[in-house]
Amino acid sequence: MKRLSGLVLLPSLLVAVLLVGAGGTVLAVDPELPSYQPVSGVSGTIISVGSDTMNNMMALWAEGFRKFYPNVRFEIEGKGSSTAPPALISGAAQLGPMSREMTASEIDAFENAFGYKPTLLRVGLDALAVYVHRDNPIEGLTLAQVDAIFSKTLRCGYPESIDTWSEAGLGGDWVNRPISLYGRNSASGTYGYFKENALCGGDYKDTVKEQPGSAAVVQGVSVDRYGIGYSGIGYITSGVRAVPLARAEGQPFIDTRVENVVSGEYPLARFLYVYVNKAPHQPLPPLVEEFVKFIFSREGQEAVERGGYVSVPASFAAEQLARVVEE
Amino acid sequence: MNRGFWRSGDPLVWTAAGALALCLIMLFGLVGLVAFRGLAYFWPAELVQLELADGSLVVGQVTGRERIPAPGGTGAAARGRIQLKVGNRDVYGLDFRWIEEDLITGWSAPPELAVVERLEQGDAYGVPVRLLQDGEVAAQGDEILERLPAMLAEAAALRRELRRLERDVVGDINRRIEAARLALVRLERQAGGGAASLQGVDPHQEAAARGQEAAARHREAIARAQAQYEQVLQEIAALRRQLSGRTLVLALAGGSELSVDVASIVRIYRPNAMSPGEKLGFYAAKLWEFLSSEPRESNTEGGIFPALFGTVLLVLIMTVAVVPIGVLAAVYLKEYARDGWFTRALWIAIRNLAGVPSIVFGIFGLGFFIYGVGGSIDRAFFPERLPAPTFGTGGILWASLTLALLTLPVVIVATEEGLAAVPRAAREASYALGATRFETVWKVVVPGAMPGILTGVILGIARATGEVAPLMMTGVVKLASELPVDGLFPFIHLERKFMHLGFFIYDLGFQSPNVEAARPMLFATAFTLLAVVLVLNGAGIGLRNRIRARIEKAGPG
Repeated sequence: MKRLSGLVLLPSLLVAVLLVGAGGTVLAVDPELPSYQPVSGVSGTIISVGSDTMNNMMALWAEGFRKFYPNVRFEIEGKGSSTAPPALISGAAQLGPMSREMTASEIDAFENAFGYKPTLLRVGLDALAVYVHRDNPIEGLTLAQVDAIFSKTLRCGYPESIDTWSEAGLGGDWVNRPISLYGRNSASGTYGYFKENALCGGDYKDTVKEQPGSAAVVQGVSVDRYGIGYSGIGYITSGVRAVPLARAEGQPFIDTRVENVVSGEYPLARFLYVYVNKAPHQPLPPLVEEFVKFIFSREGQEAVERGGYVSVPASFAAEQLARVVEE
Repeated sequence: MNRGFWRSGDPLVWTAAGALALCLIMLFGLVGLVAFRGLAYFWPAELVQLELADGSLVVGQVTGRERIPAPGGTGAAARGRIQLKVGNRDVYGLDFRWIEEDLITGWSAPPELAVVERLEQGDAYGVPVRLLQDGEVAAQGDEILERLPAMLAEAAALRRELRRLERDVVGDINRRIEAARLALVRLERQAGGGAASLQGVDPHQEAAARGQEAAARHREAIARAQAQYEQVLQEIAALRRQLSGRTLVLALAGGSELSVDVASIVRIYRPNAMSPGEKLGFYAAKLWEFLSSEPRESNTEGGIFPALFGTVLLVLIMTVAVVPIGVLAAVYLKEYARDGWFTRALWIAIRNLAGVPSIVFGIFGLGFFIYGVGGSIDRAFFPERLPAPTFGTGGILWASLTLALLTLPVVIVATEEGLAAVPRAAREASYALGATRFETVWKVVVPGAMPGILTGVILGIARATGEVAPLMMTGVVKLASELPVDGLFPFIHLERKFMHLGFFIYDLGFQSPNVEAARPMLFATAFTLLAVVLVLNGAGIGLRNRIRARIEKAGPG
């Protein structure tokens, strides 16, 4: 993943990997992350419009931030990553959380409006999991197989479309059972990311049942024994199982454990972004600046973990923060 | 016989009765399901301790049971499994676990098991073993539950005080700073404008001097507020210190221990040791908490008060907006307008308007109210806050007005029917007594049509309360930290975004990160929404009946 390569090189990642407990479920943030230091005179309203994957994280950040600034008001809308750029451009929002990067045309539209590019902040990591029903015995899938299951264009090179569980390699009572597909609606960044990275840019099958939210995908798969769907790892429930994935035939299946996500080994790992509108050589509005500082503090990254995602290491956080905060 | 059977009309009667029965079954089935699942949420469920075949112990509440589909046929279909809420999210990662019944070797409900409701990370299940004060053991065993209630009450009082300081005192300071800052921006802008249109030197200098004086005053106000804020911050820090330092240690099922900060405990109880009376009391307390407190943990726990408040306020503002306009329009169309092709076309248009999908109204609200009207208000009255919009973004006022448009046809049509139902004799009697047309319409016809008008309002409210789609474009949010009405001037903040029960349900169901844990809350919220519709309608119907009774008493018949 070329987007992850910058992070993989960071030495402090090793620290993060070592910190992860053996069980992989109890999470800890990098201890070098600084605690948030409140300043005085911060007030106003923060409006965030964007990704629904990050909606809950925004809500957790809001809860945490309000412990320091009780009178800061929050308004959080999460109806899909594609709603973030228009909201930033119109000034209706100061923060645009997105689960994918802005496209060139979105950046152009922003530049036309303000004369400079939006500032991108990488605030956390997510693994996009392929979920199956908890009874499903499948050991793993290659990315080409995932493409053959979800896409009608087969761009990743699998010879034929996979429509039944026996074609995906299952036996027993799974033979000839049609695969029931669950996915996201097209406003979602998850939809775009999956299309780009798991389907090699191809098109989804028409039989994908498009759901209005990530939880709805998981919910659908958990009551459909022959179902399969994709969503962020933060939405996992006891009713579903995340399938380990392999980059190619013959390579090992990698599961969604934190260390695999942070190291970039898991093939569908991605960053989560927050876009802000920052004019060059001018500070951010004080309220937004403090909120960004909070995101990259220990408290903010703990909220990332609580939201079911993976926090970033301290040096990486400092580097991100330096993009918007000039000391 | 056959012919007689068909001619008697029995088949039709039976079909009609069957259709009614089907409707009732669907209605009661749905309401019953929502009510049962919603109301069961507050009941303190038993905590069970399971021994598994591999020797491990699991503690939790049984939340579901299902049959495992037998592989390859119907042979061994007797196997089942249960879903257990195991809690302790911070330890296990997930709140729920499915366990196959075959693997369960022992099943008990030890009375010492306790549920600890926490402000964060959901419930913890375990046996309280130690209470620590600054690292020293302060209480052990049964003594803990005797000492904890007082501590929890104390912590709750401190939290309330903290909240008052943080919300009201700090909030007031923050607002003063913000107001002074905006005033400074305004002054700067004026000074800039003055320099551009500089003509006479003297008046400009005078204005500049006045401006500088005002700016100094605002800066001083900011500095004063800052100093006050520092003081309050110290008070808050002192309160926080008082809150911290106490830890409750729980023994978990696996033999490990979990430390819980006492300040973060909402309540602790032992469901297995409760008497039915205690359970009822607990139920009432939980229900009250649900209705009166704010949501926690990205809406999966706590209460729904902001959403409940938002829903009711939205409908009230909508009613205030739609009734006068709708009634006046209907009165003019029915009583004054000439009955030509234009009027008839208008009626058709109004009736068709009722069939327009609500999302279309939402788009209209976004384009016209928010970007059009709201944007103009911002440019005219709040230029110093731009580009951050004040009215140029979704808010409860715009959402209410959009809903008012949506329900306008319902009110107009119902009013028209009410006006048509006023007997001709009443009008003629009024004219015979020498009343003018205006007097007849306003003193005889409209009061006579009141029941019809109220029917329209009731129908409108029923439709508006359940609408979510147009709200999603006009200002409903997942989490609004302040209500649109509060104790700060000007008390009603119609530009604020709001929470709504319908959207709350949508969000919990489709977007919640922990959809299993959110499900009971989902049903409880759905039931609350049904109850709100019922109460609002009930109020309308009650009012209508009173008016109808008055008309009948005073009427000619």
